[in-house]
Amino acid sequence: MSDTRSRGARGARPRSGTVHIKQHNGPAYAILILGSAVMVFPLVWQVIVSLESTEESRSFPPVFWPAHPSLAAYTAVFEQLPIARQLLTSTLITVARTAGQLVFCSLAGYAFARLRFPGRNLMFGLFLSVLMVPGACFLIPQYQIIQSLHLVDTWQGVALPGLFSAFGTFLMRQFFAGLPRELEEAARLDGAGTIRTFAQIMLPLARPGLVALTILTVLWSWNDMLWPLIVTTGQSKMPISASLATLQGEHMTNYPLMMAGAVIAMLPMIVLFMVLQRQFIAGIAFQGTKG
Amino acid sequence: MTALTAAGLAGARVKGQPEPGGRPVGRRRATRFIESGWGWAFILPTAIGLGVFYIVPAFTTIWFSFSSWGAFGGHEFTGLDNYRHLVTDPDIGYALVNTLLYTLMLLCGIPLAIYLAALINREKLKGKGVFRTLYFLPVVTMPAAIAMVWRLIYNGQFGVLNYALSLVGIQGPFWLQDPRWALLSIGVIGVWSSLGYNMILFSAGLQAIPKELYEVAMIDGATRGQQFRHLTVPLLSPTIFFVTILTIINGFQVFDLIFLMAGRSNPAIDRVQTLVWLFYQDGFYSHNMGYGSVIAVLIFLLTAVFTAIQFSVQRKWVNYV
Amino acid sequence: MFRTSRRWFRSATALALAGLSLSAITACSGDTGSSGTTTAAESSAAAEATSAAAAEAVTISYWIWDKNQQPAIQQIADDFHAANPSITVTVELASAYRDYWTKLQTAATSGTAPDVFWMNGPNFQLYASNGQLEPLDDVFASSLSSSDYPQSLIDLYTYDGHQYGVPKDFDTVVLAYNSQLFADAGVAAPTDTWTWDDVHAAAQALTDPSKGIYGMFAGFYSQEDYYDTIYQAGGYVISADGKSSGYDQPEAIAGIQYWIDFIKDGSSPDYATMNDVDPDQSGVMLGNGTAAMEYIASYSAAAILDTPEGQAGHIKFARLPAGVQEASIIHGLGNVVYAQSAHKDAAKAFVAYLGSKAAADVQAETSTVIPAFNGTQDTWVASFPAEVNAQVFIDELPVTVPYPVSANTSAWANQESEILSKAWSLEQTPEEACAAMAKAMNEALAAE
Repeated sequence: MSDTRSRGARGARPRSGTVHIKQHNGPAYAILILGSAVMVFPLVWQVIVSLESTEESRSFPPVFWPAHPSLAAYTAVFEQLPIARQLLTSTLITVARTAGQLVFCSLAGYAFARLRFPGRNLMFGLFLSVLMVPGACFLIPQYQIIQSLHLVDTWQGVALPGLFSAFGTFLMRQFFAGLPRELEEAARLDGAGTIRTFAQIMLPLARPGLVALTILTVLWSWNDMLWPLIVTTGQSKMPISASLATLQGEHMTNYPLMMAGAVIAMLPMIVLFMVLQRQFIAGIAFQGTKG
Repeated sequence: MTALTAAGLAGARVKGQPEPGGRPVGRRRATRFIESGWGWAFILPTAIGLGVFYIVPAFTTIWFSFSSWGAFGGHEFTGLDNYRHLVTDPDIGYALVNTLLYTLMLLCGIPLAIYLAALINREKLKGKGVFRTLYFLPVVTMPAAIAMVWRLIYNGQFGVLNYALSLVGIQGPFWLQDPRWALLSIGVIGVWSSLGYNMILFSAGLQAIPKELYEVAMIDGATRGQQFRHLTVPLLSPTIFFVTILTIINGFQVFDLIFLMAGRSNPAIDRVQTLVWLFYQDGFYSHNMGYGSVIAVLIFLLTAVFTAIQFSVQRKWVNYV
Repeated sequence: MFRTSRRWFRSATALALAGLSLSAITACSGDTGSSGTTTAAESSAAAEATSAAAAEAVTISYWIWDKNQQPAIQQIADDFHAANPSITVTVELASAYRDYWTKLQTAATSGTAPDVFWMNGPNFQLYASNGQLEPLDDVFASSLSSSDYPQSLIDLYTYDGHQYGVPKDFDTVVLAYNSQLFADAGVAAPTDTWTWDDVHAAAQALTDPSKGIYGMFAGFYSQEDYYDTIYQAGGYVISADGKSSGYDQPEAIAGIQYWIDFIKDGSSPDYATMNDVDPDQSGVMLGNGTAAMEYIASYSAAAILDTPEGQAGHIKFARLPAGVQEASIIHGLGNVVYAQSAHKDAAKAFVAYLGSKAAADVQAETSTVIPAFNGTQDTWVASFPAEVNAQVFIDELPVTVPYPVSANTSAWANQESEILSKAWSLEQTPEEACAAMAKAMNEALAAE
């Protein structure tokens, strides 16, 4: 984009070696490093403020490093909010949704990709149409269903609709459709039934797809806010996302406290991402190429 | 690889999918019957789940949109009253414009994501992994949590942003309170949090482009700019199409950031309220679920229209190899 | 597959239950700790409760929204449980005031509202008229006396001749000021005879842009700010018959203008600054010494004194300055019982206890709110250092005006923040904003 002259030179001597390219990547590094700083700054700033005193967090010019870094805000969060329970609630909701989607979506995805049955295309079309409808169109009736099941203000109520996913079904169908048929055929010839073929041959092959689905579901579920906000009422029943959303009205000006709560809420996903980076990126990329 | 994307998004739906082949013709009926049974058994849980929680509710919402609700439940059919109110409600007009503007800002993030993905994909660039991690980090953050620090950054009195501006002699505004800046400020957060995600998608698309094509282009003396325009963009177009659809759908549904960044007494609320925000305010805050349903229907129509437009013009610019 | 998932589901449920019972154990151990404080008054209430609620163990839920009051409320609930071992009260803190009403209404719609909950003036008639509240006439007949509470609060929670709420507390509004900033600027401290003109003059004298100090924090909160001044100007928010808005009257406009003048002459931060620095109006600027005066209600008194300036002993209270007349909005919460509660007897026993002197004393001692029970107000005043002059909260009583309400108060009150904020942000004149508000309010009143 920037320097066309050296590009021409490279065109003339395509194999002219590394020196040239290195020189040219200079601006690229500059842009990427500057960009990274912008991307990461809010997260770093959040951690810094969480270590400051309330007065420091509100001073101008801003305090870039507290005089006495303190974890007081973190202890305060645990004292003032049932945050351990909220983290547990978030975990339960996330685990339930992920488990549900892994089971249900891979079953349905496999059936759509490989099994022949009447009404298949109709059903698949119906499932896909769900993808096209914005979430707001489901929320009011969903809430009433949860209400009639007496699951308002419970983690099960938050989790339930998310056990099923049109998107996940579609993702798994695309994945199964891309797998070679030969192994399956061989298993059939060996006399394996549908269940065994699915569970023992296809499911292990679909592992990357399942990992992608897991990552996308976990990420969505942990950070999901609107639905838990609707279904849960009290602080002690809320997942951490909804709790932080309502917190803003109350402790709005106790910045270290809010930042500490935010850091705690985000930490699990950040750690998970750091550990499973490759899978995260492969999962998203898979969605792009297959989804 | 990338060609599969298109098949995935457009083809599969339109054409259905190829019949499982390779079976001897004239298989016994019983086998097919059993397979049908398994097919239905496999999709049954999802069919019930999606039916109960998504498909039926979508129709229920349409039905609710013709009704009015009491303070403590109970609703009566009121015909087109909600729709009549909808067209005269100034808040809806604001929300519609704001939603479109916000989506437009997100769309502006797409070229940026392509550009950065192209930079990261350069051969011999060191630290690809580190850059990818750093750019992706905002994607895994929780909106409810990250909004807090953005509020602080944007604070008109002691925010870091205004501090940085003051160093170059600019007196920054109250970003989130100023009707001229509030939506833009929130849009920046939207771009910030989706940039890494889009970069990964574009990266995957770029990697699927055969390197030989670039070598040929270089031998032909094409500049990098020309390569980008005539090679990269057309070959990337299925991914661009996919990301555009995704961005529009997400943009039309923006709620979290608006809810978190602007309260009802925010002087800029007219300029930042969006359709889903109004849906929540009317449907759940004011307990007017009939009116909330009308807004939901409006969001659906808007999404449908824009997705349809996208699909109808895709033939003109999306290049399936 | 299915069995696995169900087994998983069951074990996950078990895990959750384990978590809950664990917390129940902790709660119980808390009970034994505080049971030693049980007084004679409590035991008498306890005896009644036991007879009323049989011996069967029940758990009732109690919703509140104020985090500052949670410790006191928890102690009251623990005391009650100690005296009535068969009834356990779960105190549930709503995440924030604005969510409380959303959640409560949603819960009431589905028949799952808590057994006992806080009620306020703006919402009372809506709930009472829709049959959501249990009449408490029998509770008053048997164990409480309405003469133990200020009459205005008894009236507030009476609907159609029935008593639906037990008065819990009341709030009055005063002027909080930073005595150090007054001394530094050589301005005489506020007196009981101060008028609006005195405040404006002092605010200007106290303002020092070079130090970033503002004379007044011209807040934007109905009960603490503009309702008071509308009545001080001789105006009203709602007509006596409850049918029309008073916002289009010149007096109401004057009551709004009073605040706008501070913003216009720079003796108050502008609206954007106030909204950015202290969006909940929790006294941040008064507390850190950048504002010299702010109107605050009694429920904030303890929190204000807990700020840096408060702890330094600089913050004091004074009577509200008079406009055309003296006025201070009085409002109080009530404890109510849900009409569809499954444990009405236990719930009634608990509200009776909440209305007792013993419960009022706990609240008074913790400085949180002024209890409604007559005679316990002095305990509340005495819980503050004498020099802050908390007595002024009680001294306002003779000039108090009841909080303006109608059958569906929130239908118009919820619009105030959006419409009137345009005056505070100087986008509209007070006349324009008040005209818009009067129109919206009259429409809402007509729909009641």
